[in-house]
Amino acid sequence: MTDRDNTYRIDIVDTVTVTASPDKTLLESLESQQIDVQYHCREGFCGACRTTLLEGEVEYTTDPLAFIDDDEILPCCCKPTSHLKIKLGF
Amino acid sequence: MKYTTFNQQNVNQLDEPMFFGNPVNVARYDQQKHSIFEKLIEKQISFFWRPEEVDVTRDRVDFQKLTEPEKHIFISNLKYQTLLDSVQGRSPNIAFLPIISLPELETWVETWSFFETIHSRSYTHILRNLFTDPSSIFEDIVVNDEIKRRATDISKYYDDLIYATQLWQTQGEGMYTNEGQPYPVNMRELKKKLYLCMNSVNALEAIRFYVSFACTFAFAERELMEGNSKIIRLIARDENLHLTSTQHILNLWAKGKDDPEMAEIAEECAEEAKSIFMKAVEQEKQWAEYLFQHGSMIGLNKEILCQYVEYIANQRMAVIGMGQPYDVTSNPLPWMNNYLISDNVQVAPQESEISSYLVGQIDSAVSEDDFADFEL
Repeated sequence: MTDRDNTYRIDIVDTVTVTASPDKTLLESLESQQIDVQYHCREGFCGACRTTLLEGEVEYTTDPLAFIDDDEILPCCCKPTSHLKIKLGF
Repeated sequence: MKYTTFNQQNVNQLDEPMFFGNPVNVARYDQQKHSIFEKLIEKQISFFWRPEEVDVTRDRVDFQKLTEPEKHIFISNLKYQTLLDSVQGRSPNIAFLPIISLPELETWVETWSFFETIHSRSYTHILRNLFTDPSSIFEDIVVNDEIKRRATDISKYYDDLIYATQLWQTQGEGMYTNEGQPYPVNMRELKKKLYLCMNSVNALEAIRFYVSFACTFAFAERELMEGNSKIIRLIARDENLHLTSTQHILNLWAKGKDDPEMAEIAEECAEEAKSIFMKAVEQEKQWAEYLFQHGSMIGLNKEILCQYVEYIANQRMAVIGMGQPYDVTSNPLPWMNNYLISDNVQVAPQESEISSYLVGQIDSAVSEDDFADFEL
């Protein structure tokens, strides 16, 4: 379901819509478009980048160790596999 | 209930709660009730490091160049961190191990405490390099009022839980008096003490290190005391992992995924738990005031540091369902993140970084083609 340039649409609630490539982590994609996301470890164990996922699917590059709720994702260690709707902060 | 080092009753460990079930017997990790603790153990072990690996000799020269207020900031932080890790190097073992019922949690607590002892040893490594005789620094930790006030709050909940557990394990439930003080011992009281203690530990790991971390990294931003900063980065990485474990424990309880009685207690003691956290935040802010009483340092002042503490507190309170009581919405010290990235920490993978970098690893995928140029 990707667009012709092979990217997914990331709809950030109350701000903007950006694009994300399926071969970068979501955090890297957001940063490359000057979206400010809090982070610490960038490896999935601290949970600083916790983000609410409202719509869409992601896949993890490493098993997230930090506590995340059922509707939350860790952008530092996941890649989108569909268009997403997310809410930054929590 | 009497503690036994090897419970000979046959217990299904998958039915046990994290705490106050049967004592653990077989240390087996092939099956896990809460697999997160096993994953945390693996991660923590992959982080292994030794203070001696970090060269701190250049810090001695830098230290002489610091102003008097900066020296006060640097040394006071080391004293406070020494206190924190002195407590954390022993207390989770003494308080939690006698009441834990899951092997993976038991091993996690032991691993966690062991790493705190590495931190303690690294403070000695740093101080020995700065002073020919660091005794006066260590001796001040037990007489300095600012540090003592924090020590009281940090150790109080551990001590309460430990004493109640000792009474329960030696004498059973009942009403006891010691030195005129009444001590009611029953399962509900014990679990409440455990809940409050875990919240106090969670606040410690979440908040209490961060004013010191910020100061250390602010020195490093000016290319000062870089050996020390390298060590503190390793410590910060470990503390982040420890925090993850206490957040998991608190959430497993609150969401009713472990002991149902702990879910009731979490609700009942929600306000008290929140006030434990917010008191830790207040104490950290007072610590910033104490540090900067003789003057601030370049790049940091009391106000910005207090905002940072509140910012971090908001995030860490939200994870455990305490909301975000402070008004800070953006990170006042964005450069801090660069020091908290995990993979900026180490260079050689065999030393710690990649857990899949195994000792004596062999290639087990061998196809027939691999023997193509092989002749007998």
